[in-house]
Order: sequence, then structure tokens, then C-alpha cells
Amino acid sequence: MRRRKRKGKKHENMFFTAAPDKPLGIRSESIREIAGDMLPGAERKNRRLNVLQKQECSINKYFVQGDEAIAEGAIAAGCRYFAGYPITPASEISEAIARRFPEVGGVAIQMEDELASIHSVGGASAAGMKAMTVSSGPGISLKLEGLGWGIKNELPYVVVDVQRAGPSNGVATRVGQADLYTVKYGSAGGNNSIIALSPMNVQEAFDLTIECFNLSEIFRTPVFLLTDETVGHTRELLVIPDASELKVVPRRKPTVPPAEFLMYPLDTPGTIDYPYPNIGEGYGICVSPYTHTAKGYATTSEKDQDKMATHLVRKVTDHLDRLTRVQEEMLDDAEYGIIAYGCEARPAMEAMKRARAEGIKVGFLRPIIIWPFPDEPVYRMACKVKKILVPELNRDGQLSREVQRAAKGQAEVYHLGSGGVETHQPVHVYDELMRIMKGK
Amino acid sequence: MVININRDFCKGCGFCITFCPKKVYERSGELNKKGYEPPKAARPEDCSECGMCDLYCPEFAIVLEKKSA
Amino acid sequence: MKNQGGDIERTIHPLAAKYLRQERMPHMACPGCGIGQVVHSTLIACDELALTPENTVWVQGVGCSSRITYTLWKGDNIDAHHGRIFAVATGLKLSRPDLNLICFTGDGDCMSIGGNHFLHACRRNLDVTAIMFNNAIYGMTGGQVAPTTPMGAMTPTTPYGNIEDPMDSVQIAMAAGASYVARWRSTDFRQIVSSIKKGIQTKGFSFIEVLTQCPTQFGRYVLKTGDPVKILQWYKDHTVTLQKAEKMTPEELKDKMLIGEFAHRTDRTGVVERYWDMIHKIQSERA
Repeated sequence: MRRRKRKGKKHENMFFTAAPDKPLGIRSESIREIAGDMLPGAERKNRRLNVLQKQECSINKYFVQGDEAIAEGAIAAGCRYFAGYPITPASEISEAIARRFPEVGGVAIQMEDELASIHSVGGASAAGMKAMTVSSGPGISLKLEGLGWGIKNELPYVVVDVQRAGPSNGVATRVGQADLYTVKYGSAGGNNSIIALSPMNVQEAFDLTIECFNLSEIFRTPVFLLTDETVGHTRELLVIPDASELKVVPRRKPTVPPAEFLMYPLDTPGTIDYPYPNIGEGYGICVSPYTHTAKGYATTSEKDQDKMATHLVRKVTDHLDRLTRVQEEMLDDAEYGIIAYGCEARPAMEAMKRARAEGIKVGFLRPIIIWPFPDEPVYRMACKVKKILVPELNRDGQLSREVQRAAKGQAEVYHLGSGGVETHQPVHVYDELMRIMKGK
Repeated sequence: MVININRDFCKGCGFCITFCPKKVYERSGELNKKGYEPPKAARPEDCSECGMCDLYCPEFAIVLEKKSA
Repeated sequence: MKNQGGDIERTIHPLAAKYLRQERMPHMACPGCGIGQVVHSTLIACDELALTPENTVWVQGVGCSSRITYTLWKGDNIDAHHGRIFAVATGLKLSRPDLNLICFTGDGDCMSIGGNHFLHACRRNLDVTAIMFNNAIYGMTGGQVAPTTPMGAMTPTTPYGNIEDPMDSVQIAMAAGASYVARWRSTDFRQIVSSIKKGIQTKGFSFIEVLTQCPTQFGRYVLKTGDPVKILQWYKDHTVTLQKAEKMTPEELKDKMLIGEFAHRTDRTGVVERYWDMIHKIQSERA
């Protein structure tokens, strides 16, 4: 938004915005609110738009990109180590963090490549810091090796994937949604405990970043914030609450002396809420890419390998009650359903509203925690509705496949795919819904 | 110098035998439980206390104690 | 003077008792491997500097360099992925600048897959002490050619002879900005101790390359002998000190590796110091 000066004459009280309102469903109240603050007579708040200058966690409203909201979320969560590498469309997170971290006592470093950044984040986490790295599709591919190190050694940290159109370098500056399986299955060796959250707007980008850090501490594992270029580059209202209102989970420290502490709780598979000691305090932390015993010593025994694999998987599967979070709209009487995540969610909800206005009973479900996949809520929806439409920005049907699996044949599942670059518009989703209703 | 040899750690590389300037060590003719042949200090009275055997040993298997007066 | 060999209580080496986990002894090096000797020299240096398991962290990569040293140290052992040791060390050191980091790496780990991270650790003058065991081969995986293997070497992946030139990590470290650079043979015990001490005390990236004999792979494949004593003789014949080299012709220096102290710069600050100075400055300006 800006004031326009034309031929020396200032046009007072005129604002225009390049942000399309309806198609993306950006809340017009957010623009009106900011505009109202800027009108003459309104109390002028000491802030700069688009760049956050305030100290962390003051009550304030900002008009920022999703990428910047993620940076603020990391700060609010207590993250004080960041390592990144330039990659569109995630660079803005690195840049915001580079500006803000020194203000709050955090280290932000641009490493020499994607692998260096995730490995240094692992090192920082082992050293007791809350740490984060960011990238997009091609960079996430590079980071997968480091991710494996983090999973295996139960290191808490956050990886942000701002998805873009692929495969490979694809269209660097435009949206895609094709990393769903990459983040879950891409790291070598399986046996993992991937948790991934996905925001659909700027406020969620902030809120869920904090939640990612919290879950990484509770579950002692890397957690993904799986977002996309549209959410990353959309500017919207962000409300940062007072620090006292935030729920931030600190790093747990052992309460027993080093001789009694086991680094990895492999004899009680699935244990979470487990301490992570500081280095340099006599606990003799042992971290390695190899399969390890409970103490962290390398081992080749079948029994130890199985214990470790079981523990890493059960860390998630034993606690699905804490890892199920979805948004459900109008499902009670729904006969048809739409499931979407990230930037596709708002067009999908607009399509649902349009159908509902015409008397068609359509419901909507959005995974907020997308890994582990919300099998239970999707199955419940499938039992209610006849058909489920899944719009997503890929042609290989990644989300659709998961929905199909979770639906267990209770409903027909239809994939509305696109290679990316643009999100689906509500009319695309609506038209496809009509087609499948008529028996496409 | 009192020469202690940890027979279980020794891997029979022969460095102490070869590099002792006073030829204190020689092969013992006995295998340890891993099948390596540790040395023995055959002529400890010739030891000049240079400490080279300790440094040459990769296994921390030679422990030298200076004889107390 | 008596030989009291075999008495276990009397045969725990004092340095091992002070610094190493007894349950991890004997370490997993092959008979005659030079890595054990360098570990010994490292412990002497730690002892002389009064380092403790609480204030010193051992960081490793992948390969013999790392599998042998991992979990030997009583303190923290952070074993990174192959080649990523300096990336991990960057995160560790920036987060805990107060701790000493000793990084054990190998020629493949450091110069091949880890080359990029090594370059930038030198460039950033990362305040760690790196000890690279150069056995000129990929030992742990069965003797494949490494970036430091001599020309003509027959290895499992160069069965017709190596036709690539080996690289000189010391020259690369110096060009990229390391503060302290040295190369020794595994049997240059006192020089290695001195270099490690200097490295730890030097603010910035200290790179100590040690030519370590590998009887199992390099010896058998390249030198056609598994006798560690003969391999040590080969290193003696193929190395020359910097001082001697000044008086030798290029022809005489062909196929010889230079050993000595190559660089010792104390004028450069490093990335850790600069980042934290910047952070404190910005925080105090905004306070």
C-alpha cells in the first residue's frame, strides 16, 4: 500500500493495494485496519510497515509477508541460531532473521551451501540452542542427509520448506506443493519420526512456527514447517501477542547426574518429553550418524538397530492424540468434501461457501499437522461424504494418495492437480466439485 | 623404569621392538586372547627411560613408571 | 627394573585413565595404524594445557579418523556426517564459544566430500583445532582412491593405476585463510604435541595434517606391504622438512611431501568472535 503523489498534488486518504482480496480470500479487514491507523487524526503508531522493528513479542499489529512472520515466530519461540542459504522463495526468512537476530542476541549465519546450513543447525541444537534452517524444494533435497542426522540423534530443531513449483529447480519464484512426500520419506533409511505443520495464512505462519519449535522439544526431533511460496509472499495482518501469552516449551535438562543418564531412551520405545543435556557439562553427549545404543555408542547388532528404529517410529505413532490437528468446516451434514492444505485451503473454502450458498452440502477439512497424516479425521469425513475432492499443486497426487489411503474406501477421492505456478482459483475448485458431483 | 605391558590392548604391531633404541623389547612368543603377539620387556635393565616405546605404541598398551628413589 | 606386564591395574595408561572411556578400549584401529599414535599425542597436548572432558568436545566425521576416535573421549563426542564436520563445528562453536573443539577428520572426509566446508572453515577462521589423519586412502570402506592418493596407485577403484594428481591440503588451508597450518608424520610425536597445543591456543582455524600409516589398505594396495614398520620407513623416505627443502632442487623434491609448520597467523579474528561482537554491539545500541 502507498500514498500516491501525482503532479505535485498529494492525494490524501487514497490507498490502493495490489493485494487481490477475494480470490485469495485475504481478509479485507486487515487492510482496513491498517489503513484506518494511517488516516489523519488517527493516533500514529511508531512503526514501519513491512519491516518489523519492535522488540520481540510486543503487542502489535504488522502487515508482513508470511516469510517475515515465520522469522518472528522463530524469535518468539526462543530460536537463537539460524543458518540458511539463499533460495527463492525462502530468502526473505533468512533476510528478516539476519536483521532481527542480532537485536535479540541470536546468531544468524549464511552458510556455504544447504547441507552446511542444516548440519550447523544440528550442531547448534546439540549445543543447546533452539535452531532453524529454511529452504525450498531443491534445497530441501540437499538437506535430507542432515535431516537424517537430526532424526537419528533426536535433535530438536525446525526446518522450513517454502514449497515452489518443481521438480528440480522448476519455477523458482512461483508456488508449488510437491514436497509432501519429500519431507516425510526423503531422508535415507526411513525409520523416522517426521512431524510437519502447514500454515494457510500469515498469522498461522507465525503461530505454527512457535508450535513447530514446541513439538521439536517435546518429541526431540526435527519438525517441518511445510509452507509454500504463496503463503510466504502474501502480506497480511499479523498480530504478535505479548510474551506472557505465548506458550513456549523450553529445552528439558536432565535431573539425574551424568552416570545415571542415558542419552537415548531406547529401552522404552516411544518415550517423549525426554531431556537433552548441554554439552560441556559432563554428560558426555554422544551423537553420531551410525546406529547407536542407549548411550550413543555405535553398534551393529540387529537388536540395537531394531530398538532404535522402533523408538524413532513410535515417538510419533504412540502419540497421535497430541499430533492430530485439523480444521473442519461444515462437516456435520456434508455429502461432499474438500480436503486441501496451505495456499490451496482458502480457494477450497471459497468454493465450499459458494456451493453451500446454492444448497449443496459440502464440508471442508484441512490438515494443520500434516505429518503424521490425520488418518482418523479424514476417515471420519470419508464415512460421512460420498466424494472427496483434493485440490493440490502437483500432478502426482501426493495429498490425494494420502486421503485415499486414510479414507479406506469409504468415499471416492478425486485429485484436482496442477503443476503449480498459480494456486487454484475458487472457481476451479467449484467447477471440479460440480463435475465430480455429476459423476465425472 | 618399571615397564608394564597391557597384553590385552596390544595388537602386535612391533613398533616398540623396532624403535626402542636400547632393544629392550622382543617378541614374547605368546598370543593374547585376540590372537596378537604382545612383546615382552626382555632387557628392562637396559632401559634409558627415553619414553619412545610409550609414544610409539598406538594402543596405550605400554605404561611406564619411573622407579621411585 | 621389573617387567610387570599383565597386571591390569598397573597397565591402564594414565592419559587413557584421565581422558578416555575405559569401556571403549582398546580402540578399533588396525594393528600399526597411525591414528592411535596421534590420539596419544593429542592427549599429551590436552594434559599439558590442562584441558578437561568438560571444557573440550571431540568432533568427528566419517571414516577411520572418526570411527576410531568417536566415543573414546570421556567428554562430548559429536560425530558428524561424512564431510560435514566443519559445518557441525560451526554450529557448535557459535553456540558455545567457550568450549574447545578438537575436530578429527580424514583425507577423504575433509578434502573430498568435505572440501567445501573445509574451505569455508578456513575462510571464516573458525576457532577450532582440526587434525586431519591423512592416510592417502579411503580406509574404512576398503582402500579406494582418495584425493591425496599418489599418482599411479593401484586401488580397488583405480585398478589400472591412479591417473589423478593428489591435492595438497596444507596449501589449500593456507590459501583459504587458516591461522595455523602444520603437517607432520604420525611419529613426529613432540612436534605434533607442540602443534596441537599451538593450534588450541591460536584463535582461529588450526589445521594439523598428520601423515598416518595405514597398513591394512594403503600399505597392502599401494606399497604392497602390510608391515607398519616398512610403511613408516616409506613415509620417512618421502617426506622432507621445510628447512631442508629450501636447499633442495625441484628434481630432488619430486614425490616428497613437505612437513613442518607452514603458517601461524595471530592477526586475524575469526567468525565466532566477530559474530558475537556484532551481536553485543547491536544489542547495546538498541538498549
